[in-house]
Amino acid sequence: MHLRTSLIALAAASGLALGVAAQAAGADPVKLTYWSGFTGGDKQAYLDLIKKFNDTHPDIQIDYQLQPWDSIAQKLPTAIASGAGPDLATPDYNVATIQQYVANGLALPLDDLVGQVGKGVLPQAVVDAFSVNGKLYAAPANFATLLLYYNKDLLQAAGIAAPPKTMQELQDDAVKLSNGQDKYGIALADNATIQMWPVLIWSDGGDLITNNCSDLADPKTVGTVEKWSGLIRDKKISPVGLTGQDADNLFAAGKAAFEINGPWAAGEYKAINFGVAPVPVGASDKPVTLASTVPTIVSAKTGHPKEAQEFLAWWLSKDTQAQLSTAAAYAPSRTDMANDASIASNPTVAAFAAQVPYARLYLPTEKDFAKIDTGIFIPAIQSAEQAGNAADALKAANDQLNKLLGCS
Amino acid sequence: MTLVTREGEPRRAARLRSGQLFLLPSAVIICVFVLYPIVQSFWMSLHDWSMFQAVHPFVGMANYAELLGDPRFWNALRNTAIFTVATVPVQVITGLLLAVVLSRASWWAVFLRSVYFFPVISSFATMAIVWRFLLSADVGPTASWLRAAGLVPIDFLHTTAWALPAIVLVSLWKNIGFTMVILVAALQDVPEYLNEAAVLDGANAFQRFVNVTVPSIRHALLFTSVIAVIASLQVFDQVYVMTRGGPLFHTETLVTYMYEQGFSEFRSGYAAAIAWVLFLLIMLVSLIQLRLFRYSDVD
Repeated sequence: MHLRTSLIALAAASGLALGVAAQAAGADPVKLTYWSGFTGGDKQAYLDLIKKFNDTHPDIQIDYQLQPWDSIAQKLPTAIASGAGPDLATPDYNVATIQQYVANGLALPLDDLVGQVGKGVLPQAVVDAFSVNGKLYAAPANFATLLLYYNKDLLQAAGIAAPPKTMQELQDDAVKLSNGQDKYGIALADNATIQMWPVLIWSDGGDLITNNCSDLADPKTVGTVEKWSGLIRDKKISPVGLTGQDADNLFAAGKAAFEINGPWAAGEYKAINFGVAPVPVGASDKPVTLASTVPTIVSAKTGHPKEAQEFLAWWLSKDTQAQLSTAAAYAPSRTDMANDASIASNPTVAAFAAQVPYARLYLPTEKDFAKIDTGIFIPAIQSAEQAGNAADALKAANDQLNKLLGCS
Repeated sequence: MTLVTREGEPRRAARLRSGQLFLLPSAVIICVFVLYPIVQSFWMSLHDWSMFQAVHPFVGMANYAELLGDPRFWNALRNTAIFTVATVPVQVITGLLLAVVLSRASWWAVFLRSVYFFPVISSFATMAIVWRFLLSADVGPTASWLRAAGLVPIDFLHTTAWALPAIVLVSLWKNIGFTMVILVAALQDVPEYLNEAAVLDGANAFQRFVNVTVPSIRHALLFTSVIAVIASLQVFDQVYVMTRGGPLFHTETLVTYMYEQGFSEFRSGYAAAIAWVLFLLIMLVSLIQLRLFRYSDVD
């Protein structure tokens, strides 16, 4: 009897233990690996948000792995294809790159996410860039616009009261602020950078591609490039051949008075007294600036498509977007937050958010993006800057581009 | 007789097996990381191979035919050739002169040898970042020194005329120490009696250097120049970090072009074809070098 009770107790206890163990196993959180390239000034904002998600979602844990962009570009396609890749990833900061991922079946269509976020909530330009055949394949990890950064002390010393409102004023100010040696009016990067030249071209009504044909030989495009490259050569308003990092260093060192850049740069300029203003209006008389958004894709091989999209829905929620905006001055990736208190109350955030209606993505859906950008456009700009042959260089680039696009 | 074979055979077999076992680790590494990729890359170069795609259509020699008509390939080949011709002779000759001056055992020679060797042991990518900063016309110290001296600083890495020469100089700075150390070791092996005999024959210092020292270290000169040529033809790190092949492709080399085709345009097949052209080029140049040096072995 005694023995029997003990046995029953033992059986019950072990049964209980097994039950508890089973329960514990059932509550094991789903682990999602996320490869991200946000290593710049906005890094901490992302880390804080990931931590917040992990703290509030015991059932889903994000293993956030920061890597340089070029390292992601090298490894991600093969990693996904071989099944060893992450569940979530930012493939590249150039949005056109996702076209290749979609074309080769490496990215999952985000049908769940569309249902959770709702139609018409994401900016239309982003939806267009991230959709193939009507299906959304990526969620915006951020949404940024570019503003004109200016060094208040340099402008004041030169007797310039306010930042320029037109491109003509910007050019005049830039000439005035350059000394032909070590002080430059503007830090204008042409390679390995967030695009600055396309903004100048758009502002005068020119373009790179319209209706699948090159616009590089368009008189407006040629006029813009001739004007700016002429000032760079003759008046030394900017060094030639700058990368984005070079331009940032120059502005951060107080050696350039203007720079067109996104919100992520603000954190790197703490040592100087700077302000931000809308990109000046060019000959087209319409405000325009560059939009930049980084796509997050869900791997086609993920074992947890539902949880991955749940994370993305959380990322795009109003609260998360408000926190990202406040922490890193990004515009919210939603169209319904323009009057949100957290945006309106912060002047820097509000300034970037105010540009959303005028912001354009750079070559968002060109599947030959790398060939067009680094193989044709950048060399043409560099040739104009170095050799002063803007018209010829753009004509040659125009022919190359039309050949590539199949436009006769 | 049967007894002898029975005894002999297993013993020989056992020796063989342990010898093979010792070879196995490096043989496996070479097969997996060298031989297999070489064969695989040739196979890839015959296909329209993208790492995104599951299917890679066979295209035969089309990638190689495209190379022949690709102006960026010829430009990269020319830059690589200029780089090699500009670095290797300077590296070997300067390395030899430094080795001669510093081969003695005084404390300052040992100290200077360490100084010259120091760049060799540091990572080239890291050193290239440092040099990019040093040579920057805007934030670098070189420019401010030049300015302080009343000169106009040159924007080395952003100017078409200066970018390649700047990379050549940085590469020499990085690699001369290696050549020097190999040659110092070789010089210390030159038998003293040869020099003594030459002195007795009335040879002066220059004659002894040309007719005794240089022939005695010929094997080391061959080694350093072959290694220098191979490294120069494969130049990548410093270019990638300092100029990314710019400005305007003026520093684009075969390997940086191959990298761009492979990893930014994802044309692995085309990149593999470039790799094979480079492989054949290196083999050809190395064979010529070996032949040239062997020729002088006869005397």
